Amino acid sequence: MSIMQYNGGSTIAMVGKDCVAIACDLRLGNQALGISSNFEKIFAMTERTYIGLPGLATDVTTLHEQLRYRLNMYTIKEERTMEPETFIHLVSSTLYEKRWGPYFIEPVLAGLQRMPGGSFRPFIASTDLIGCINFAKDFVVAGTASEKLFGVAEGLWEPDLAPEDLFETISQTLLNAVDRDAYSGWGAVVYVITEDKVIKRTLKGRMD
Amino acid sequence: MDISFALTGKGYVIVAADTTAARSIVKMKSDEDKIKVLSPHLLMAFSGEPGDTVNFAEYVERNLRLYHIRHTYALRPASAASWIRRSLAESLRSRSPYAVNLLLGGYDTATHTPELYWVDYMGTLTSVPFGAHGYGSYFALSLLDRYHDPEANLEEGLATLRRCIDEVSKRLVVSPGKYKVKVVDKDGVREIEL
Amino acid sequence: MNSFADRFATTGTAAELRRIKEYVADDEDVSDSMWGSEAGFGTMAHGAPDFMVPSVPDPAAFLRLHTDDHADPSCRIKIKHGTTTLAFRYKGGVIVAVDSRATAGSYVASGTVKKVIEINPYLLGTMAGGAADCQYWETYLGMQCRLHELRNHERISVAAASKYLSNLVYSYKGMGLSMGTMICGWDKTGPAIFYVDSDGTRLKGDLFSVGSGSTFAYGVLDQGYHWDLTDEEAQELGRRSIYAAGHRDAFSGNTINLYHVKEQGWQFIGNYDVSEMHYNGPTGTQGYGYSVRVEGRSSANPPV
Repeated sequence: MSIMQYNGGSTIAMVGKDCVAIACDLRLGNQALGISSNFEKIFAMTERTYIGLPGLATDVTTLHEQLRYRLNMYTIKEERTMEPETFIHLVSSTLYEKRWGPYFIEPVLAGLQRMPGGSFRPFIASTDLIGCINFAKDFVVAGTASEKLFGVAEGLWEPDLAPEDLFETISQTLLNAVDRDAYSGWGAVVYVITEDKVIKRTLKGRMD
Repeated sequence: MDISFALTGKGYVIVAADTTAARSIVKMKSDEDKIKVLSPHLLMAFSGEPGDTVNFAEYVERNLRLYHIRHTYALRPASAASWIRRSLAESLRSRSPYAVNLLLGGYDTATHTPELYWVDYMGTLTSVPFGAHGYGSYFALSLLDRYHDPEANLEEGLATLRRCIDEVSKRLVVSPGKYKVKVVDKDGVREIEL
Repeated sequence: MNSFADRFATTGTAAELRRIKEYVADDEDVSDSMWGSEAGFGTMAHGAPDFMVPSVPDPAAFLRLHTDDHADPSCRIKIKHGTTTLAFRYKGGVIVAVDSRATAGSYVASGTVKKVIEINPYLLGTMAGGAADCQYWETYLGMQCRLHELRNHERISVAAASKYLSNLVYSYKGMGLSMGTMICGWDKTGPAIFYVDSDGTRLKGDLFSVGSGSTFAYGVLDQGYHWDLTDEEAQELGRRSIYAAGHRDAFSGNTINLYHVKEQGWQFIGNYDVSEMHYNGPTGTQGYGYSVRVEGRSSANPPV
């Protein structure tokens, strides 16, 4: 049994037209035993940057606290918010710092990048557990159901989805993928991030 | 193998742990207290590697006591849980990690809410309405899914706890005989005879 | 003699011998593969089926090397496991309830597995462990039970049927068979349940649960069980217990199959979706789920 599968859990992020979405399941397990069905793996880092941290649950909390601390220090020193593209590099270097004793987390990031003109550009990325960044134009996945998420997302995703359509796409992708994974599921949450608002919805998922 | 249960009810948390201290195939002691009183409104049931358990529990106890003396008030349950979690998470990647699993039951006097946290030796922390550690969890969790009521009074809560203990005695091959039960509510901490 | 002409002649001693040979062993010359597989039931008239084994010194060890996915998750052959099954006896007969999930590693390979094997109208077998092992040998048991009926002009007892299976799997001990099954039925002695597994254990009892989720099922089952349950209560208890296991155990779930064995034989009660039970329950009025059941209830105790 891999340590990446010890607690279970999965995350996915998708790009839409002038919006991004990120979603995760809610299961916290001890191998086959389900412990909690309200373990959120997505955290708001800035107003328009959200990070999903699937993997070993203790590191989910530790890494979230570490990233929050470093982000706050940046914000105080620079007197500006951090953009997602900068943030993923912060995530990457935080992970690589532990190259020979890694955090067992594969982060997934979704955000809106502020452009020089003041407009916003959708941005998603993911990294492996030691910080190799993967920039993608369509979707990124991670967690115990990642293989299944890839399969469903390849089938359902299409370019330039409006926020509501993107919500439907990411929800169906996540829900159907985790139903084929024993270690993910037990409910889900979805965030849809647009220029002027962030919508958080809790989904009714299969509870077995 | 230690067994511990905890459940919340209307304005209280019940924490129960077995009282056997075993070494190899021998029961060394049958009235060991495995529930520490950390502050006036905080209880901690601990189980795991012998030696680590008491050492870690005392380490936590003294630090929380120090906080209480320095600030004249105790840490609230959520903050205490967070500090304890971090101690375990840091210990996990040290030369000799603590192997201790915890159930933290507290009563937040500011919000009048009973709180229960499930913490494992790696530093995984989650808030639960009821929880268990050890082999007991495989029998008790489904039972508690069925019978637990967040608005149960203390008597009903203890009846549900008794169901868990009975079930484990019935089905577990090496089940412990006796349990120590402690309750925390608005009036503080007290021990209860089942 | 003209042996060539003899071979095709329709009269004479050679032809007579040929006819007798054809009559007594009409499929002796035919390969077992015509029945679909080398281990086919077509050979049954000639004793227990035999199997092809790899030509290595220790075939069981060879197979174990390639199938033990606990030791080696990257092994080539993944056998499906993970299950919750239960059966209990009460005054109204026997309740048999099972889940329907099959997993290969963490992959949910199927959510529609039939884990109750209908051996004959009076006997049910449950399936835990190797799906193929259970399916094959319990089907085989069904054929033996039918032969018993034909030979003795009476139905086989549950005790005898389970003993037959137990002896059979015991003869394969050490070869890697994996099954944990309950043989349930109604015979002259009334309702009966026997637990039989591939170690060769055979236990008679009132209440059993088998599989990775069995502890969770026991938790609910033991607390709700007593002999004088009504039929409705008993069915509800079986369903509720499998739901509990489906909920907590990662390797159990999807749907519940519920059977009731009575004096007239078994009866299929229904198929219930675990998630549907969680949110709405069997009648659509009250879900089994903890979060559904305690919705709106809070342990907070603010002063009034």
